[in-house]
Amino acid sequence: MTEKYILKKDHLQPFLRKLKKSHQLVAPVQNRHGDTLFTEIDNLDKVHIDLDNQPQNSLKRFFFPQQEVLFTYHNPARDSYYFETVADESAPTLYFGVRPCDMSALLYMDVVFLKNARDPNYLHKRQNNILVGLNCNEPFANCFCNATRNGPFIDFGFDLQLTDLGDRFLVEYDRSRGQEIISSWRQFFAEAAESDVKAQYQAFLEARGKFRLQVHLDQAVKKLAEDEVPESVWEELSMRCQDCGGCAYICPTCTCFTIRDQPISDSDGERVRAWDACTFSGFTLMAGDHNPVDRQMRGIEKRFRHKLQFDVKKDNRPSCVGCGRCVNICFGGTDIVRFINMTCCGNI
Amino acid sequence: MAGLATTFGSGAMTNSINEIENAQVILVIGSNTSEAHPQVARRMFTAMDRGARLIVIDPRRTLLARRADIHLAIRPGTDIPLLNAMMRVILDENLADDLFIEMRTENFYGLRDMLFRLDLEEAAGICGVDLARIRAAAQLYGRAQKAVICYCLGITQHVCGTSNVQSIANLAMMTGNVEKEDTGVDPLRGQNNVQGACDMGALPNVFPSYQQVDNDDYREKFERAWNVSLPPKPGLTLMQMTHGGKDGQLKAMFIMGENPVLSDPVISKVEETLDNLEFLLVADIFLTETARRAHVVLPAASFAEKTGTFTNSERRVQMVRQVIPPLGQSRTDADIIMDLSARLGYVMDYESPAEIMEEIAMLAPIYGGMHHDRLENSWGLQWPCWDREHDGTPFLHKYYFTRGRGRFVPAVHEPPAELPDDDYPFLLITGRIYHQYHTGTMSRHSPLLSREAGEALLQLHPEDGRRLGLRSGDMVRMRSRRGEVQVKAQLTETVKTGEVYTTFHFSEMPINLLTISAKDHFSQCPEYKVCAVHLEKV
Repeated sequence: MTEKYILKKDHLQPFLRKLKKSHQLVAPVQNRHGDTLFTEIDNLDKVHIDLDNQPQNSLKRFFFPQQEVLFTYHNPARDSYYFETVADESAPTLYFGVRPCDMSALLYMDVVFLKNARDPNYLHKRQNNILVGLNCNEPFANCFCNATRNGPFIDFGFDLQLTDLGDRFLVEYDRSRGQEIISSWRQFFAEAAESDVKAQYQAFLEARGKFRLQVHLDQAVKKLAEDEVPESVWEELSMRCQDCGGCAYICPTCTCFTIRDQPISDSDGERVRAWDACTFSGFTLMAGDHNPVDRQMRGIEKRFRHKLQFDVKKDNRPSCVGCGRCVNICFGGTDIVRFINMTCCGNI
Repeated sequence: MAGLATTFGSGAMTNSINEIENAQVILVIGSNTSEAHPQVARRMFTAMDRGARLIVIDPRRTLLARRADIHLAIRPGTDIPLLNAMMRVILDENLADDLFIEMRTENFYGLRDMLFRLDLEEAAGICGVDLARIRAAAQLYGRAQKAVICYCLGITQHVCGTSNVQSIANLAMMTGNVEKEDTGVDPLRGQNNVQGACDMGALPNVFPSYQQVDNDDYREKFERAWNVSLPPKPGLTLMQMTHGGKDGQLKAMFIMGENPVLSDPVISKVEETLDNLEFLLVADIFLTETARRAHVVLPAASFAEKTGTFTNSERRVQMVRQVIPPLGQSRTDADIIMDLSARLGYVMDYESPAEIMEEIAMLAPIYGGMHHDRLENSWGLQWPCWDREHDGTPFLHKYYFTRGRGRFVPAVHEPPAELPDDDYPFLLITGRIYHQYHTGTMSRHSPLLSREAGEALLQLHPEDGRRLGLRSGDMVRMRSRRGEVQVKAQLTETVKTGEVYTTFHFSEMPINLLTISAKDHFSQCPEYKVCAVHLEKV
């Protein structure tokens, strides 16, 4: 990755219009109620692509939908079942404006869905996409990707990566597909000057100093590994947790799901995969109503141990990407930042 | 409603929900806030992070009660003696706010004389709570500069519900804990728009904005606006309607978004009443137990299919916007009412919900400045909002109470209508749980919620369980003088011995077959919180 290019901001819209001819486009769009969300764009001229606010959703649902039919089952004569797999028919998609946290989350999902058993639905969606990222010059209010060490700038995982330099973007590529795009649409890209590259370094340096939260994630990881988290922390957080599951649903790396068979008629039905959350008591409920986890005392424990202990043991890195969405959404103040701070600095 | 209306002059939360974060002492009485109102509980937790002290008065040891500095586990239905005892302690310890009482209230001597006659030991005995703990709670509340009282259906669903509320108001006024920011009396509403329904006159005795039907001036105002003549006599209350039986006063009913076959006490009586109607019309988004009994069912639109406003607990009127057009044959509530009205010979011609809101602003003074264009790009406005220039009212009763002076209405203990005896030795409390909503019309369609809580459980103290030979998961036959159900037992120390708790969400276990039809004398609210039952292992 040595070559760097310049894309003028004025040329962004025309560039996206070209790519949109062969791809479905997903980008952060501010809707008429003021919320910014990753949204499928039909008409580029009718939406406001918002690169100034953090999208409230991550890319999770585009690759791992909240509800997904895996196959249908049929038993027309009431004697034997036959099954029909539901092929994933999602179109090739361009994801634009992906922040380093969401990009890292996608790489983590690859580990979950592709490393051992390859999940066909996920694989299809993943093979069919272009990722255009955007480095974060201005971290948002609840961001702490500096602590999880996957931001505010990233240098792998994307096809194209943009850095905002005022009136223009500096463009890098990581994979061959990114290089292909640049060579196919050469008219949009000028070679970057040395001053542009210097400007990018400057932006990176400044961005690192702009985080508003101080999160001692490494210390929490260490305390978990050494089993030094006080019992009272689990208790306090579990009792405060309001059991809404919002943290798991909004989290770009929470990938637990439940499977259920949904009857459509007496003879037909479908098997559905749906998001689940380890904080729900039904997540660990066993036959005979036995539950090894007392939700009110330890309900939130699995969530933090998984992200900061088990995944570190398995993959040598925590699976929290520091996007801060759970900080924003949590009712009871039992988000991961609070856990880390309580673990490392007492109750603050 | 009636309780605060007679003491303060307005039956609604005096504070905004956010103000709870700044309180120094929070007194929660008859509310399982963290399960029933998580968004309010969250503010309580924030307040506690900032050093606030929490007092919880609840027969059950709820999650919130476990976090409390003081939990008073009273016997159900003994709120008045407890509150009176607290007030007596406040008097004795000289913690009453004399200036506030003098400047802003009336009839304090009536209350004081009653309190001086109170025997504290006796009152504590009635509540089943140690007097020292009552003293501690009273001192904590009485000393606070900013104290909030939150209450809910554990207060109102009693035969003495109105007096319970009045006693809470007495306590707050006596200590000067009203009329200020971060300080007040806050009834928590059970549904997203129940406040709005009351505001719009979905009560038997008032037009929108609480203008009484028996007041000639108000009635004439509405007669002119609607060009009809209106009866001066208040209508029937809920129980008078659904408990009419064979010889009920009503011949026909139109029920919208309500499921009385499951939610009203003594279900057999409700069924008898509905089955004897000449005509029953139900509009709902799903075919409820009530809708199944209707002659005609109209499919209604869900929240995502209509535009309008909801008014929440803190009197905040917020816009809800249509995301998708109504599915299938369903139609919005306004559409249904307008069409029905036209066919009955009275044309209602509104081109949009905004036009309806304009009429509300004209006729309901507390909504005077609320128009869709003002609500559209904001988090809404809190009533009273008198005109377009008015910014709404975050907390009520600033400078003076709505009714002028706050009125002390002393109350004495009135025991629940039916207490346990030898034949029916257990006291049944009914309420809600976190994962289901009301009669489950909506929430029971979610498989995940059903996994979390898919059936009714009867909370029972382990000691009682041992005596009856019950283990968690065993089926119990539970009967009262009115009916019988079977329900799965859950042994837990959340409830005290002799008391059991369950919910009304599940149609397979219609608990309101057992509940009593006794009701509050003023508001006619049924006593869902106390009745006597007998338990045996199946």
